[in-house]
Amino acid sequence: MGIVAACTVVALAVAIVCGLVIGPTSIPTWRVVGDIFAHVGVGHDTLTSTQSTVVWTLRAPRMVIGLLAGSMLAVAGGTYQGVFRNPLADPYLLGVASGAGLGATFAIIDISHGNATPTWTPLLAFVGALGAVAVTWLIGGRSMRANTATLILAGVAVASLLTSAQTFLLQQSNAESITLVYLWLLGTLSNAGWSTVWLVLPYVIVCIIICVGAGRALDVMSVGEEESRSLGVPVRRVRFIVIAASSLGTAAIVSAVGLIGFVGIIVPHIVRLLVGTSYRRILPISVVFGAAFLVFADTVARTVIAPSELPLGVVTALIGAPVFVIILSLRRPVAV
Amino acid sequence: MSSVEVNELSVRAGSKVLISDVTLSFEPGTWSTIIGPNGAGKTTLVETIAGLRRPSHGSVTILGEPLADMNERARALKVALVPQHPVVPSGMSVYDYVALGRVAHHGLFHTAGAGDRVIIESVLERLSLVVFRDRDVVTLSGGERQRMVLARALTQSTMVVVLDEPITGLDLRHQMDMLELMKHEVRDCGLTVIATLHDLTLAGQFADRLVLLDGGEVVLDGTAGTVIRSDELAKRYGMNLRVVDVDGSDVVVPVRQ
Repeated sequence: MGIVAACTVVALAVAIVCGLVIGPTSIPTWRVVGDIFAHVGVGHDTLTSTQSTVVWTLRAPRMVIGLLAGSMLAVAGGTYQGVFRNPLADPYLLGVASGAGLGATFAIIDISHGNATPTWTPLLAFVGALGAVAVTWLIGGRSMRANTATLILAGVAVASLLTSAQTFLLQQSNAESITLVYLWLLGTLSNAGWSTVWLVLPYVIVCIIICVGAGRALDVMSVGEEESRSLGVPVRRVRFIVIAASSLGTAAIVSAVGLIGFVGIIVPHIVRLLVGTSYRRILPISVVFGAAFLVFADTVARTVIAPSELPLGVVTALIGAPVFVIILSLRRPVAV
Repeated sequence: MSSVEVNELSVRAGSKVLISDVTLSFEPGTWSTIIGPNGAGKTTLVETIAGLRRPSHGSVTILGEPLADMNERARALKVALVPQHPVVPSGMSVYDYVALGRVAHHGLFHTAGAGDRVIIESVLERLSLVVFRDRDVVTLSGGERQRMVLARALTQSTMVVVLDEPITGLDLRHQMDMLELMKHEVRDCGLTVIATLHDLTLAGQFADRLVLLDGGEVVLDGTAGTVIRSDELAKRYGMNLRVVDVDGSDVVVPVRQ
């Protein structure tokens, strides 16, 4: 456990440095690291003003949004796997993705022509994402008899409904809109500036704290709903709170960077294989590991075919799947 | 004061009546076993006493406080449950599993303190689980597993313990061991035990009192000897039963018709 935690933190530090150092403008690593220290008051500036702009205005916000997205998606996925006791659960389980997709599509096809994604896209995506989860909850999560299977099925129903609405909208629109929507759906950190970071940060911090704080409750809930109730856990309230927090944080991230797949399902599983089945360990380590993983994936996404970029979702799967397969074959079977 | 009062209790599932107008009270330091044919409502009754089901009418009061007024945590401090089919979460150690019983005491945002750990250790010791403490729960045999579930219930340190078919799937010796362990706890700690059992012989030997349930209603309620020897018992099970005295213990034997 201690070793895994230490390795994850080191990986995070390496990912942060990679995120700031690697790019089309070549800047020596020691200068960037020196400047990081200068920013926290140790030593003095080591970058020229152009280099400083590249590092702190272009690369840094992108790296930070990568940290936030990676940690939020990973912890939300881990939390969902715990609350639904289902290894296939990911942060998009209850309709966040399809809701956000519909919201974004609405915003994008609204402009009849032009080649830019309108500025209100994130807002509509955010509203769509939360709306979808709210509808899912109203259908499947409210009644006393409802169990997690009802909720998952309600999520499936809501997601298919919203996706078909989105498909209809796309089919009625033009090729440019379809391209823009498609690019948005793939997810990218390339549009992120500091303003995005400040917008998303409060949601993500609060939601991560709530999810990580639910670790012990999720550990108890691994004995099932009835038994955890008899052990003193208010199961329905815990479920509501962690679903609300995961959805809110995921919606904020998705509205800012689009749909980045794979991180939310694979990171918690990798962490589980390394540290065991206790959510008190899985969730905090997933926060750090998810952040490092996504920043690293984004560094790959923007460099391998520079000056153009690979879709981030493609890279997360390309790196994540083999890593996962290797760990899976080395360790015991997955248990949730 | 009775430790558990069941007052005019009815429980429904949709339009089906599972428990109908049951009134019972259970005294501290006694073991009561609910018997009855399949579908009689035994599990429903004990689950309602454990607070997992809501009465459609009537009430359950534990140590003077109505269940309906308690939240999950308050309830878990008063009544513990050994379920019929416990979920065994793979990857969890026996120690961590047994320690779940302390969650209601230290809360969801604290770890087990020194006092909690003393109680966990003492229960592990009493139930001979110390050697398994670091084992993954799924690696235990049926008897060991059942003992572990009982240990979790005992670490809850409640005065009322509800056992729903605690010996299902165990061989004869493990059945006896399990019930003996529980009997010791009743005697030593003054617990109120409410159990359901299918085995009428064991039910008669271990319980101070038997309650015969059929169709959701109490048919017989009395000392083990009187209920076991009643004609009503065979009628309710719809079969021939003989009660034989073996070294002073009642043994219930089914006879082919």
